[in-house]
Amino acid sequence: MKKSFSLLVVLVLALTFAGAVFANGGSESSTDAAGSGNLEASLALAGQVDALTAADGQPLIKVSGTGREVPARPADPEALPEDNPLHWWDMEFAGWNSTKKNIPDSPKDGAIGKKVIMIVHGDHPWTTACINGATKVADVYNMDFKALSPNWDLAVQNQMIDQAINERPDLLLLIPLDAKTAPQQARKINQAGVPLIMFNTLPEAEAMDYCIAWTGPDDFGQFRKLSHLWADKLGKEGGVAYIQHAPGGSPYFARYWGPRSELAEYAPGIKVLDAQAPGFEADKTQQLVSDWLTRFGDEIVGICAADDSAQGLGISEALKKAGREDIVVIAAGNSKQGMDLVKSGDIYAITYQTAEGDGALAVKTAADWFNGEELPPVRYLPQHMITIDDVEDFYPPQW
Amino acid sequence: MRNKINKKQILSLGDRYRIYVLFVLVFVVMTLFAPHFFNAWNLTSIMKTVAMNGTVAIGFTIILIVGQLDLSIGTIITFAAVIGLGLKDAVGYGVSVPLAIIAGGLIGLINGLLVAKVKINSFIVTLGMLTALQGAIYTITGGNTIAVTDDQAFAISDWLQHQIVPMLTPRVIIAIVLVVSFSIFLRRTRKGRNFFMVGGNSKTAWLAGVDSDKYTIVAFVISGVMAAIGGILFAMESAAATLNLGTNSLMYVLSATIIGGTSMAGGKGGVFRSFIAVLTLTTLYNGIVLLGLGNEVQIFISGIILASVILYEAFVEYRHDKVVGQRPELLKELNTIQ
Repeated sequence: MKKSFSLLVVLVLALTFAGAVFANGGSESSTDAAGSGNLEASLALAGQVDALTAADGQPLIKVSGTGREVPARPADPEALPEDNPLHWWDMEFAGWNSTKKNIPDSPKDGAIGKKVIMIVHGDHPWTTACINGATKVADVYNMDFKALSPNWDLAVQNQMIDQAINERPDLLLLIPLDAKTAPQQARKINQAGVPLIMFNTLPEAEAMDYCIAWTGPDDFGQFRKLSHLWADKLGKEGGVAYIQHAPGGSPYFARYWGPRSELAEYAPGIKVLDAQAPGFEADKTQQLVSDWLTRFGDEIVGICAADDSAQGLGISEALKKAGREDIVVIAAGNSKQGMDLVKSGDIYAITYQTAEGDGALAVKTAADWFNGEELPPVRYLPQHMITIDDVEDFYPPQW
Repeated sequence: MRNKINKKQILSLGDRYRIYVLFVLVFVVMTLFAPHFFNAWNLTSIMKTVAMNGTVAIGFTIILIVGQLDLSIGTIITFAAVIGLGLKDAVGYGVSVPLAIIAGGLIGLINGLLVAKVKINSFIVTLGMLTALQGAIYTITGGNTIAVTDDQAFAISDWLQHQIVPMLTPRVIIAIVLVVSFSIFLRRTRKGRNFFMVGGNSKTAWLAGVDSDKYTIVAFVISGVMAAIGGILFAMESAAATLNLGTNSLMYVLSATIIGGTSMAGGKGGVFRSFIAVLTLTTLYNGIVLLGLGNEVQIFISGIILASVILYEAFVEYRHDKVVGQRPELLKELNTIQ
């Protein structure tokens, strides 16, 4: 009886799987409204997209107007010392000199009704805002839009990429979980013939070869600019410490080596006392800052944080407890907590990093590609520093 | 009377083969309702996802069968991936991959020795190992993901994703071969059955002359080796080893193993059923995504399934105790024989 049952089970499994082999592959992309009429209608929607606003009242789509000045690549950037800004050239300007491979031509038939799948990195209030922004633009073009989150798990993200390819979308938008895992992911999508735009997290340079474009914040550029504000406030001297992002991702390098290498030239009188990555829990950051205050005493005059929410709160609490409100804090923004801390004077300045705009710019770039527009390899969000002078302009916060 | 027996038999079979029933149920529901589910590409994708956790579940099932716990499997996955990819440029995959697997085995050996010989609870030992390995991983990598982007690495990655037979890539085939081999070993050989005896009743094992310590140590070594194989093969396919590669595997494998019918109390379980449980959960998650539902639904549903299985196991245990209580003369009789 038991053997018969086992055989039955095995048979059912074998039949189901064997049947699947002969089943059809994924469905085709949905380009029902293809044609010149669709293109004209799609192009006519540009004004409607430009008029969209984010939750903070700021324009949803703001492409960096002036672009970015890209210096000539040194022969061997890695041979330069880490505190030389050009050491980070390959990461900071990844994509600018990429050699595109097997990139499909634009269908030039408009964005309306296109099937677009967005795969993000994980669940977070920032991600929710990002998807909201993307959805706003997708809705204008009446796209068949879907966002997937692998919850920070590489195996799940790889599976989602497979699933997305299976659905044969017109275009795939991807935030790679890790800069270094991106090349193989991008290559796989490219080989499957699915047009790809990556956004938000800067991938390794090789990944840029396989995608139409990359869009997102100019993290290095923002932090270089932010570091100037910071150095000026500090009088270009004193000891500072860095609270880093999670090791491995591009924000880790941009928000630590960006300002550090910039200040080595702009304010060499500023001395780096320590740099740590305590994660994104306020209590751990608070403990770290308290330890720094004990260890360095009056020597520490500035703190630069990779995150203005949990890390920002931790710093603020530690400084209040020690009565050290004199320390000048800067951070990457712009969460509600971060902006509240700017408003209260606990943080001197944060970067404007629109989460909704990040998702929206990716979808807008996809629409531009469907419309046949010539795209630059990299499209940045605009740079802006928020201080107490203009923080009110960014309320209510996006996340 | 006859009907009653048949009913009991059916219930008993249903209990024994519940994971197969659950799998068929999930598969049929997803085939009917999830768009783009039933096609070769998607089913291959499911099998590829199963390969890592299915391999890791082999070792974890054996650990539970001997009545122990291994919390370090997730970090062993990452550690092996880091060693295998990190040393690739220096010595090539031919040396780095075996080294990664040996490293997994050695970690398992240390766990096993501490549990069996020093008599420290396996929860404490493997929790300590988890923390120590995390520190080691961050020290070795400097906090950076390890990636290989040369042509050879990409060629191997492509080969690992290539379907040798429909839906079966090399990684999946390796996982299936390991599952079948260990299933046969555990069920059909005396040494294999001894693992059940060690976990089910250590006194009986001792009376039968089975060296419990040896089997416990071997179980941990197998667990380490399986985690390492799962980790290094996944990393080779991804051409990258992230520092949180195995983080989610512990809960995934633990849930699947329990859902598959392996008892946390030891002495009961099966490698094949654990593999089918991993396949069931992966199919479920895949279908949920295709249905357009979010990650939160995945977490919720897997929690519900796990809680239901644990409640059911508790109920069966309670019913068993109740039967013993209702027929005390049987217990007395049993004690007299002993």
